[in-house]
Amino acid sequence: MKKSLIKFLGVLLSVFLVLSVAACGGSQEATNGGENSSNSNAGEEQSGGESGGGGEQVARIGVISYLSGNGAAYGEAITSGFKMAQEEINEKYKGQLKIELLIEDSAGQRDQALNAAQKLINSENVLAILGPTLSSEMFVVGPEADQAGVPIMGTSTTANGIPEIGPYVFRNSIPESLAIPASTKKAVEHFGIKKVALIYGHDDDFTLSGYEIMKDTAEKLGLEIVKTEKYATGDTDFSAQLTNIQAAQPDAILASSLYKEGGLILDQARKMGIDVPVVGGNGFNSPQVIVQAGEAAEGVVVASPWFPERDVEEVQTFVKKFQDKYGKIPDQFAAQAYDALYIMTQAILDAGTTEDRDALRDSLAEIKDFKGVTGNFSFDEVGSPIMDPIVLIIKDGKFVEFTD
Amino acid sequence: MIDFILNPYYIQIASFILINIVLGISIYITLSTGQLSLGSAGFMSIGAYTSALVTMKLGMPIFAGIISGAIVAALAGILVGIPTLRLQGVYLAVATLGFGEVVRVLFNNMEITRGAMGLPGIPHFGRVLAQSLADMGLTADMLGLRNNQWSALLLFIVLLVIVILVIWFFVRQNHSRIGRAYTAIKEDEQAAESMGIPTTYYKVLAFSQGAMIAGFAGALYAHTTSFINPGDFSYHRAVEILIFAVFGGSEVIWGPIFGAAFLTALPEVLRDLADYRLIIYGLLLVAMMAFRPQGLIDYNVINWLKRKFKKQNKHDSVSNGSDGNGSSKQKGGTL
Amino acid sequence: MFEQQLINGLTLGSIYAIVALGYTLVFGVLEILNMAHGEIFMFGAFIGLLMVVQFGAPIPIAILAAVLVTAVMGFLLERFALRPLRGKKGVSHLAPLISTIGVSIFLENLAHHLFGAETQPFPVSFARISFEIGGVKIYLVQLTIFLIAVALMIGLSLWLQKTKAGKGLRATAESIETANLLGVNTQRIITLTVIIASAMGGIAGVLVGMAFNAVSPQMGLAIGLKGLAIIILGGMGNIKGAMVGGLILGLTEVMSVAYGDSGYRDAIAFLMIIVILLVRPQGLFGSPATQVKR
Repeated sequence: MKKSLIKFLGVLLSVFLVLSVAACGGSQEATNGGENSSNSNAGEEQSGGESGGGGEQVARIGVISYLSGNGAAYGEAITSGFKMAQEEINEKYKGQLKIELLIEDSAGQRDQALNAAQKLINSENVLAILGPTLSSEMFVVGPEADQAGVPIMGTSTTANGIPEIGPYVFRNSIPESLAIPASTKKAVEHFGIKKVALIYGHDDDFTLSGYEIMKDTAEKLGLEIVKTEKYATGDTDFSAQLTNIQAAQPDAILASSLYKEGGLILDQARKMGIDVPVVGGNGFNSPQVIVQAGEAAEGVVVASPWFPERDVEEVQTFVKKFQDKYGKIPDQFAAQAYDALYIMTQAILDAGTTEDRDALRDSLAEIKDFKGVTGNFSFDEVGSPIMDPIVLIIKDGKFVEFTD
Repeated sequence: MIDFILNPYYIQIASFILINIVLGISIYITLSTGQLSLGSAGFMSIGAYTSALVTMKLGMPIFAGIISGAIVAALAGILVGIPTLRLQGVYLAVATLGFGEVVRVLFNNMEITRGAMGLPGIPHFGRVLAQSLADMGLTADMLGLRNNQWSALLLFIVLLVIVILVIWFFVRQNHSRIGRAYTAIKEDEQAAESMGIPTTYYKVLAFSQGAMIAGFAGALYAHTTSFINPGDFSYHRAVEILIFAVFGGSEVIWGPIFGAAFLTALPEVLRDLADYRLIIYGLLLVAMMAFRPQGLIDYNVINWLKRKFKKQNKHDSVSNGSDGNGSSKQKGGTL
Repeated sequence: MFEQQLINGLTLGSIYAIVALGYTLVFGVLEILNMAHGEIFMFGAFIGLLMVVQFGAPIPIAILAAVLVTAVMGFLLERFALRPLRGKKGVSHLAPLISTIGVSIFLENLAHHLFGAETQPFPVSFARISFEIGGVKIYLVQLTIFLIAVALMIGLSLWLQKTKAGKGLRATAESIETANLLGVNTQRIITLTVIIASAMGGIAGVLVGMAFNAVSPQMGLAIGLKGLAIIILGGMGNIKGAMVGGLILGLTEVMSVAYGDSGYRDAIAFLMIIVILLVRPQGLFGSPATQVKR
C-alpha cells in the first residue's frame, strides 16, 4: 500500500519534472530579431538614450494575454501583433534598444491574470506591462500594477473607468463610447433609419457596456427602439430572438456582440430574410466576421480606428507582413497591440531609460500625435486614447470606408 | 531569502491557495456525509456578492461583510438543502449544479450586481488593512517594505489565521458527536438511521456547513481580487473545487487541503506550459481515477505519517504522542 | 410568428434530443453520467467540417466519417477512462463522473490545439433551401435534423427490443452480475454501448454544425450541460424520455425568448430539473421502482 503510493507520487513527480524541462526548452520568451548582420542599424538617431553609451539597452516588457480557453482567439491575435512589432523594433533599434517580451497566459481568468501580473512585476521585474486582454481582468490587475508603480497599458480594454484606476494605467484601445455613436449616426443619416431593434450578449461586460452605449445613442438620435433581445455568450441558436426582431420590423439592427456570436447572428438573420442594415459594436470590427458570415456580412456598419484597406503605406506594409506571417488579415486586436508596443517603445526612448518605471509613466502620458497603423494617437489626461474612428461598411466581402 | 518570501507574486499565490483550501474544505464537509454537491460555486457567489454589497453599499467594515456573506450563504444552504437532500448520488450532483447555474443567471440579470459588468472597486483586504495601520502610525516604510509587499503580506497573514481557525474547527468537529454522525451516515445511511441518528438533520447540517464555508471563501475571494462578476462562479469553478477534493482525497480533511494547495500552485509551476496546462489537468483527473480513486491522501497515508512522526518523537520523549494516536486508530477502523 | 417559433423550438429540441440519447444510453447501462459526451459531439462536428471543407465530401460521407472517428473515441473513452474503474474495490460511484470530466477537459483543449479557438462556419449548399407552409418558413436542414432525431430514436428502440445485442444490453442494464451469469458478454456490451452513444454524438455534432453554421471547441460544454438536464427531465436511461425531454426543453427555451425575457433562457433547463427532481425524481418517463438503485 505504502509502496504503491510512493511509486505513484514518484511517477507524478517525474512527469512534472519532464514537463517543466520541456517547458524551459520551448519557453514563450519571444526574443526574435534578425541576427543576420548586414543591417545598417545605426541609421537611427540616438534619441534620448545617452546613458546607454553605445551599449544596447534591454527593456523587459510583460504581456498578459488570454491565450487558452474560450477567448484564446483574441489573445492569439494580440500576441501576434506584439511579436511582429517586437521583431521590427529590435531590427530598427539594433544596438540601441532591445525589447524583450515576457508573455503570460491569463486564460481569461482574473485570479490567473493577477498571479501573472504579480510574477511579472515582482519576480521578473518588468519595466511595464501590456495587457491584460479583458476589461474585467484589468479591474483586478490595474490597481495592483498601479500600487506597485508599474505602467500598464491595455490594448483591448474598452470598458468605462479603466484609465481612471490610477495614474499608471493606460489604454490605447478606443472606447465604445467614441465608436458606436459615430457609426450609428452615419448609418441613420444614410439609410434614413427610424425604428431599430437591439440585440446583445447580456453576460459579457464588453457586449453589455456596448449595448448601453447603443441604447443611449439611439435615444439621443430620436430613434424608436422596437425590440431588445439578449443572448448568452457561446449561444449558437439565435432563431428565437431573430424571429421576434423580424416580427417587429425594424429599419436596422444594432448589435453589440463579439465576432463569434456576431457572425452567427448575421448568418441566421440573413437566412431568415432579415435584410435591414446592421450596425455593430467594436466586436464586429474583425475580418473574422466576413469569414464566418460570408455573404451575410454585407452591409454591416462599424466604426473603428483600424481599417486594413486604408490607403496608407504603413498600414499596407503591416497588413502584408502580418498576412505573410500568420496567414490572415490582422484584426483590430492585432493592430492595436502592434501599435501599443510601438507607443511603449517611443515612450521608453523618450524617457531614455529601461529601468525607471516612473520616468516611463511620465513619458507615456506625454505621447502625442503618434502615428500608428490605427491612426493618429494621443493620450488624454487620464490615459485614454484620443482618436477619430473611421466608419466602415462591409461591401463585396471587404471592409470599405462608408461614404455617402 | 527574505526577498524571496516577501515577493508579492509568491504571497499572491499563497493567498489564492489559502482561499482554495477553504473551498476544498467546503466540499469535503458535504462529502463527509456521502453527498456530492456541485453547488459550491453558487454558494461561493452568494457569499462574494453579499460581502461586496454590504461593504460597498452599506459602508460596513470588511469583517462584517465577510460574516454576513457566510451567513447568507448558510441560509441559502439550508433553503436548498432541505428539499434536495432527498436526492442521492448523481441526482444530487446535477440538482446542485443546476442551482449554481440558476444563481449565476440571476446575478447576471440583477441591477444591484451590475450584471455581467461585474462589481469593481470592492475594498481590498490588504490595502484597507495597510491603510488603517498607516492611520495608526505603522507604515510599510517603517518596516522597510514596499507598499504592495506590505498589503500583500497583510492579506496573507489574515487569510492564514482564518484558514488555521477553519481547519482547527473542522478537525475538532470530526472528533465530536457531529463528526461521528457524519461518518456513520456516509458509511451506511440506513444503519445510521436505525441507530437513532437523525440523518436528515445531520445531512442538512453538513450541507449548510459546506454552503457557509463556500460563501465564506467567496467573500474572501471578493476582497482579495476586489472585482467579481457572475462569470467567476460558473460550472468550471464548481468542477475545479470538486477536483481539489478528488485529487487530494476526501476521506480526511487533509486531502482537500493538500489538493487545493497542490493544484493551485501547479498552474504557476507549469505557467510556461500555458497552452498545455488544461490538457494535462484533464489527463491527471483520468489517471487519478484509474490508479488512486480515493485521492492522494487517505487514512493510510495519515496513519503512516503519524507513525513516522511518532517514531521520531519517541527518541525525544517516550511518554508523548498517545493522545492523537487513539483517535486515528478509531478512524482507521472505519475503513 | 407563433408557428415560426414552434419550428425553431422543435429544431432546437430535436438537437437536444439527439445529444440526450447518447447520454441516456450510457446512463441506462452503466449508471454513469458521461460528462465527455459533449466534447465527443464537438469532435464529430469538426470531423464533419474537415471532410466537407478539406475534401469536399458530400454530407452523408462527412457524417459517416464523423461516426467512425467518434466511435473510435468512444472505444478509447471506455477503455481508458471507464474500464479501469469498473469493479475496482473502494471506487465510489462518483469516480466515473470525475474521470469523464477529466476527459472532457482534455478533449476541449486538445481541440483548441488541433482546430484553433475560432468559430468556423460550416458551409453546406442546402442550408439555404427552404419552403413555406402557411406563412411559416421551414428549412431543409431543420427537417433533416428532426427526421434524423426521430429515426435514431426509433432505430435505437427497435434495436434494443429486437436484436440479440440489444437484449444483452438491456440485461446488462438491469444487473451486470446477473447478465454475466446468464452468459452475456457484459464487457463487450458495455464497450458497444459507449461506442454507439459516442457515434450518435458524432452525428449530432455534424447536424448542429450544419444547422447553426458554426463549429467551435466550446460547443460541447453548453450543449452537454443541456443534455444532462434533459435526461433528468425525461428520466435517466429512458430513450423516450430523452426524446420528449429534449423537445420540451427546446420548445420552452424558444418560447421563453419569444414571450419572456431572453436573459433567463439558460436558467430554464436547470430550474426545470430542480423542479422535476423535487416533484418527480424519476423523471417524466422513469418508473419509480427502477429509480436510484444505489
